[in-house]
Amino acid sequence: MISDKAKQQIDTWVAKYPAGCQSSAVMEALKIVQAENDGSLTSESIQAVADYLEMPVISAYEVATFYENYNHKPVGKHVIRFCHNISCMLNGADDLISYLETKTGVKIGEVSEDGLVSVKKVECLGACVGAPMFQIGDRYYENLTQQKIDEILDGLK
Amino acid sequence: MVDIEIEIDGSVVHGHSGESIISIADREGIDIPRFCYHKKLSVAANCRMCLVDVEGNPKPQPACSTPASAGMRVHTNNEKAKASQKAVMEFLLINHPLDCPICDQGGECELQDVAMEYGSDVSKFNEGKRIVADKGIGALIQTDMTRCIHCTRCVRFGAEVAGIVEMGATGRGEELKIEPFLSEGIQSELSGNMIDVCPVGALTSKPFRYEVRSWQMNSVESVARHDLVGSNIFTQTHKGKVKRVVARDNESVNETWISDRDRFSYEGLTNENRALTPKIKVKGEWQEVSWEAALEAATSGIKKNSAEAFGALASKNATLEELYLLQKLTRGLGSENLDTRLDVANPSSTSALETTISLAELEAIDHALIVNSYLRLEQPMINHRIRKATLNGAKVSTVNSLTFDFNYRVANSVLSAPQNTLATLSGVLKALLEANSLALPDYLKDTKVDQAQIDIASTLSAAENAVVVLGEQVNSNPCADQVAKLVTQIAKASNSKTLNASATGNTLAAEKVSFKPNGGLNAAQMFTANLNTFVLLDVYPTYDCVDSTAAIEDLSRDDAFVVAINSFEDESVLGFADVILPLASFYETSGTHINIENVAQSYGASVKAAGDSKPGWKVLKVLADLLELPGFDYTDSPQVADDALSLSPNVATSEVDIIAMEVPNIATVWQYTPYASDVLTRHAQSLQQTQIGQISEAVVSAATAKILELSQGDCYKGVPVNINETVAEGCVFVHTNQARQR
Ligand code: SF4
Ligand code: FES
Ligand code: FES
Repeated sequence: MISDKAKQQIDTWVAKYPAGCQSSAVMEALKIVQAENDGSLTSESIQAVADYLEMPVISAYEVATFYENYNHKPVGKHVIRFCHNISCMLNGADDLISYLETKTGVKIGEVSEDGLVSVKKVECLGACVGAPMFQIGDRYYENLTQQKIDEILDGLK
Repeated sequence: MVDIEIEIDGSVVHGHSGESIISIADREGIDIPRFCYHKKLSVAANCRMCLVDVEGNPKPQPACSTPASAGMRVHTNNEKAKASQKAVMEFLLINHPLDCPICDQGGECELQDVAMEYGSDVSKFNEGKRIVADKGIGALIQTDMTRCIHCTRCVRFGAEVAGIVEMGATGRGEELKIEPFLSEGIQSELSGNMIDVCPVGALTSKPFRYEVRSWQMNSVESVARHDLVGSNIFTQTHKGKVKRVVARDNESVNETWISDRDRFSYEGLTNENRALTPKIKVKGEWQEVSWEAALEAATSGIKKNSAEAFGALASKNATLEELYLLQKLTRGLGSENLDTRLDVANPSSTSALETTISLAELEAIDHALIVNSYLRLEQPMINHRIRKATLNGAKVSTVNSLTFDFNYRVANSVLSAPQNTLATLSGVLKALLEANSLALPDYLKDTKVDQAQIDIASTLSAAENAVVVLGEQVNSNPCADQVAKLVTQIAKASNSKTLNASATGNTLAAEKVSFKPNGGLNAAQMFTANLNTFVLLDVYPTYDCVDSTAAIEDLSRDDAFVVAINSFEDESVLGFADVILPLASFYETSGTHINIENVAQSYGASVKAAGDSKPGWKVLKVLADLLELPGFDYTDSPQVADDALSLSPNVATSEVDIIAMEVPNIATVWQYTPYASDVLTRHAQSLQQTQIGQISEAVVSAATAKILELSQGDCYKGVPVNINETVAEGCVFVHTNQARQR
């Protein structure tokens, strides 16, 4: 279930904690396993992480369902994580989210037919200075406008 | 701990520095509302219901997590405290469904009570309430998670007490849910306590669902007699039926918990297999008759034969009174053939291992050596105390023939088939004696010692408060006596205490009244001695006897007259018995249980006996009167108990030589699941549906399987074979809910 490469990556995180506290690496481990499985987690992969870190599976599941950066349904190649918290909302996030939905034809929580993008609403990403904003992969896109969104979408492959 | 004075609501109260405000208030009888706080669980402080005003603090403080300090002035019901409590209450009710009329918790719900006290009569919340889809968690606990208020008591109970991390808080914010990862059911012998700790109706008893409103029931104090602890319980009854069993606090016995077996076994009381009317067999046909006629038939049958040919066998779950009267009757007739040890391979044993430790002391041990026991399922409450000790760092070693799933870490585990157990324990003893440079007795001269045995010995000698526990699997071992003796010696050499958990139920009551032969025949011998008369007291040979086939054959002889004083009927009893006297079952009779600490706990009947059945002490008294035996003029059961308790048991201590007896090369260890351990639990449906109740496997190693020509999926003595390497070589470990077969 978990590849040797992923195991190696997880081990480097485990090594950062005192012996016997390997479960502290659960967040990174879930992230690594999620990346390996096209961006989402399944019951089996959560179980595998729990087994690998010798922790109760429910505890891994608690973490996986608490944080928004774990996906429990298949996602597109690019996940657009649109902030809808207060600063972004005041700066028009809701309208832009609707715009994005019409433009891509993808509703919140869904994946586009070609599998390229999926859209998710998230809470504050700490970039309120640049509100409204969203995140794709490791990158933040700030001060969004309809035009800017068009450009960004065009650039996605 | 320093004694401090604080002030709560104007009165001066005492506590220890560091103690929480709520615990002091509870002791003083001052009410502080709460949901997440539970005296036996860690403090989570997540419900905020217990907010109180502490002078000097701008904000209200949670009483459950605020430590008291000297001179603190606390107000639990001034304006500020009340406003906070009201606000929290309003918040908690936002998503609560308020379906109290159809909620089984109604009337005994902490949320209802607190809402009554602190709630408001209108809600400002007009939005839709959330609904939580339920994942089932098994046959015992009904979930209605929409009612959950996320106090996490059940989660903490699982992790901290039951030692199973299965329930968790998943999601966040409005999406937060309490659920297990999978809906396979909670796998714990203590799971029912989650029902008791849940302050609302999210977790309720499944068998009790929609049975009756809680306030319509009577709560009767009683004592559970399935194991050696005698947990204190309330039986809750309605219209003469037991509807539910809940824990009754008794710190020195069961604290505030009970096992699932104690909680749900009552379902068996209404099982269709109950014996409800007296019956006699006339020319092979059963006839329902009056009590007089049945007793008359029993009496004349017993009188016909000589005392030497009379034998009495009793269940080890019988009450002290029943055991006392049956032994008095037997001895009154002039017979010494009596026994409860039907499941013991070699009941000739006279040396019983003494128990020298109390339940509370178990929590303070630093090492436990568990021999021949899956203690967790055999004696849940004793195991729970040991688990508590392990949380404080105690180590556990085991000598067992199968690797068990204990709810704590086992440091040294030695696998040993019954035929090697003597050698293993001898090795441990030798290592102990040698380490302390003590003289070796002759029988250890040739004993070989291996590293695992040295490890156990050195953990034992290093420990200051160790206990050696002997469990019920030893009964499958013909050398049980010697095993017990070695355990005693090991305890002596290491200055450890001992705990004898080899016989369960009310065995210590049987010991007390010497319900075993003093010169007569024991359980095994009685079936080979051509006895003419048997009196069985709640005995079901199919399950209870080591060699059930032989026992049933013997009881079925034409010249064997069998009186079965039984609470249930099964095919074999109907086959061999000549008279059936229906017996009042658990909770239907008054009685006394003697627990592992030798504490006699008496209880009254909670409900009237089912059908025409009658309490055992009455049946035996009348039977004795009809047999014209003197000394049976009792008018109530406490009189019987008084007589029984005034006896001093004749502890026949005979020397046991440690010599290996003949044990087959491949031994069988037979262990029932906890829900097949006595007749009442065997008839309790919900327990049978649990994963623990459904265990049925004959575990054998690949090498041993080869010798026995068994393969995966075959049956061994009627039980499906499971080949793996968790079992000692040279034995088959049968863990099952099925009746014994040859
Ligand atoms: S189910 Fe009951 S005990 Fe568990 S968190 Fe919810 S309210 Fe608390
Ligand atoms: S509110 Fe959107 S980044 Fe903070
Ligand atoms: S009881 Fe104190 S916060 Fe819940």
